[in-house]
Amino acid sequence: MAKVAREMVEKTGINLDQLVELLVKNAAAELTTFYYYTILRANLIGLEGEGIKEIAETARIEDRNHFEALVPRIYELGGKLPEDMKVFHDLSACPPARLPKNPKDVKAMLKVLVEAERCAVRGYTYICNLTAGKDHRTYDLSTAILNEEIEHESWFSEFLGEGPSGHFMRRGETSPFVGKFIR
Amino acid sequence: MRRFNEKELARCNGEAGASAFIAYKGNVYDVSRNFLWQGGRHFRIHTAGSDLTHCLDLAPHGEEMLERCPVIGEFPEE
Repeated sequence: MAKVAREMVEKTGINLDQLVELLVKNAAAELTTFYYYTILRANLIGLEGEGIKEIAETARIEDRNHFEALVPRIYELGGKLPEDMKVFHDLSACPPARLPKNPKDVKAMLKVLVEAERCAVRGYTYICNLTAGKDHRTYDLSTAILNEEIEHESWFSEFLGEGPSGHFMRRGETSPFVGKFIR
Repeated sequence: MRRFNEKELARCNGEAGASAFIAYKGNVYDVSRNFLWQGGRHFRIHTAGSDLTHCLDLAPHGEEMLERCPVIGEFPEE
């Protein structure tokens, strides 16, 4: 635990227990999403599915990176991860991104993917608002993750016909925003 | 549709196997089966069995999330 760093955050009036719980819940969401996206990606096949597989894979890897980036901050603030993986799964900040009943329904899969990203966007926006101008390190981390989650949402949203994402998929390394926290 | 008073709603707090109901703008929603309301708690911030009409403004989501939960009663606003 980073004692003084924790004290500094507490002095700003942030409810530290609440913040740590939010970080743990979002870390759980990231790791469980990594798991569920593995299944979704494997099922994104055929003429329609193959076109989405690559962005699903990028989102999957970046969500795992988000988990890796969140964990050190949780421990710095005096928190910890549950010992039981099932407990960790069940306290996730987002519902499970389960494979739709018809795994050949690519549109249904896209809806699962975009819903998962939207849940993440809401969650990190909330943490950013909570920490802005108070807990600079958590804010910096949450903003970085939020940037990537917004891009994931826009990729899947584009495939659902909701309008252009406004950018290309990743070229080169993943996690252009969060990378600095996991090097 | 069933009308709830404050005491009846408070009993539906999702604890110890109880149903988890919340009130919002005069309606009572059943959130018992919602993943994000397990044990009658929504993050660390909200608990079932209460009127959350004035809480949504601060939430990172809008009414669309409530629309996913069944309305099972009324909670007359004061």
